[in-house]
Amino acid sequence: MISRTKAAYAYIVARTKVMKSRLLKAEDFRKLLNMSFDEIMRFLEETEYKKEIDEMAYKYSGPKLLDYALFSNLAKTHRKIYSVSFGDAKILIGNYLRRCDVWNLINIIRGKNANLPAEMIEETLIPAGEFSLEELRSMLSKEIGEIAKELEGTIYSEALSKIGSAPMSVVEDELWKSYYKAVLSVKTNDFESRVFTHFVKMEIDLRNIKTILRLKAEGDTVEEIIARVIPGGYELTEDEARKLATMSFEEITKALEGFWFWKVTSVQDLSRLEIELDKNWIEAIAKRAGKYPLSVLPVLQYIVLKRVEVDNLRILGWGKYHNIPNEEIEKEMVIL
Amino acid sequence: MAEVQPTRMELIKLRRRIRMAVRGHSLLKMKRDGLIMEFRELLEEAKVAIQKMVENYNKAQQKLLIAMAVDGFPALRSIALSCCRIPPSFTVKKKSIMGVVVPVIKREKVARRAIEKPYGILSTSVRVDEAVTAYEELVDSILEVAEIETTIRKLLEEIERTKRRVNALEYRVIPRMKELERFITFKLEEMDRENIIRLKKLKMKKAKR
Repeated sequence: MISRTKAAYAYIVARTKVMKSRLLKAEDFRKLLNMSFDEIMRFLEETEYKKEIDEMAYKYSGPKLLDYALFSNLAKTHRKIYSVSFGDAKILIGNYLRRCDVWNLINIIRGKNANLPAEMIEETLIPAGEFSLEELRSMLSKEIGEIAKELEGTIYSEALSKIGSAPMSVVEDELWKSYYKAVLSVKTNDFESRVFTHFVKMEIDLRNIKTILRLKAEGDTVEEIIARVIPGGYELTEDEARKLATMSFEEITKALEGFWFWKVTSVQDLSRLEIELDKNWIEAIAKRAGKYPLSVLPVLQYIVLKRVEVDNLRILGWGKYHNIPNEEIEKEMVIL
Repeated sequence: MAEVQPTRMELIKLRRRIRMAVRGHSLLKMKRDGLIMEFRELLEEAKVAIQKMVENYNKAQQKLLIAMAVDGFPALRSIALSCCRIPPSFTVKKKSIMGVVVPVIKREKVARRAIEKPYGILSTSVRVDEAVTAYEELVDSILEVAEIETTIRKLLEEIERTKRRVNALEYRVIPRMKELERFITFKLEEMDRENIIRLKKLKMKKAKR
């Protein structure tokens, strides 16, 4: 007899499989690359993005319309995944999607600091996390201090308590660290927690290596780099990160050989390197999702792939609208 | 001319003024030439600075476009919210080029390291850094162009003013004074001749008696 947890995963994975089959394939992107911006929009109007494009068309046009429609669709997809899941899977997915809350909090604080109207800040929000749109709207009407007070006792309170005493960049990074700390501490059954934690740790590795290389390229000190590293990586632990931070950029690229995310042959520039790392990460996720088909991994893989699709479409839209050559656009895209 | 007293004293004074005007004229001419030379040098500098500014602008636009394409317009707008409260800081000092007071803009480095930027490292990509850095460099080059442009404008005003003075001395003041000198000289000679004739007539009258 199939256990209740397995049955839950079988259902959710089946739902995400259907959603995954609707994702654009590599050949679709190659086809889109040869289209003009208007043709791309027409193509997308025949896909699941139609509703969002129509909804936003009264307010925006050109690549901004595409951008907001993509953001809106991404939020809708996240909400849908969360709503179709149940049991342990819902807990894990819900926690993973709290990243949208971090994003929204950061945007609200930035907007409040710049004294921007609430409508302008609201346009940058993705209401797909724990906070509903109504909660986010109520935050928009409050002062930063009031928001911090309201969130006392949550995972964000420690980071938010630094507002005013630390630079905003530190507060933002602390919010992300709090998110990862909370996500890593989520406990369901043993196997599920292990698989989920492994996935999150891999993501932490990826974010950490990007941070280390980015700061190292600018010549930042070891302490400055370590302060921005998220604790709890899979292979890139804090000790490893410290070791790498003491090396020169060239030494780091050599020392990274053997790490799961490092299949890079040459380091030309950091943005290309980030794309390479993302590709390696997606491949690693796919491998693990294939290994554990009845787990939360296929769902998380879909969330990542959806994000990549949205990113690719955005790059295509902006690139085509501004007549960037196809080769340049393709270089910026993560096509697998 | 009628107001001038044709006396020797006036002639001496006038000659002294002419000498001074001629010396002033040649000095002003030298100043004008010096300013023009300085202006030409600055023009070359301005060309380079403007060229650099245009290049930086195009680069910044391209980087912004790529950042917008990769990270999305809402994300970029959100990051811009955290950056827009930081105006570029600079101090304006003064220096003198041939008596022309021009500004020297002491730019405090606008470009900052990623860690000093007002947004988190973990919520942004390297493309955002590249776009922000490109715009910080653009602000630097705009300030450089502003300094050179203001200097050029001040120099041009001074060249124009000096040119007007040189022309006024060359074509109006000095010729008028020289004409006046000629007039006084002529008048004095005339008076001398009249005196001689008067004396001769007196002498003849005396001889007849």
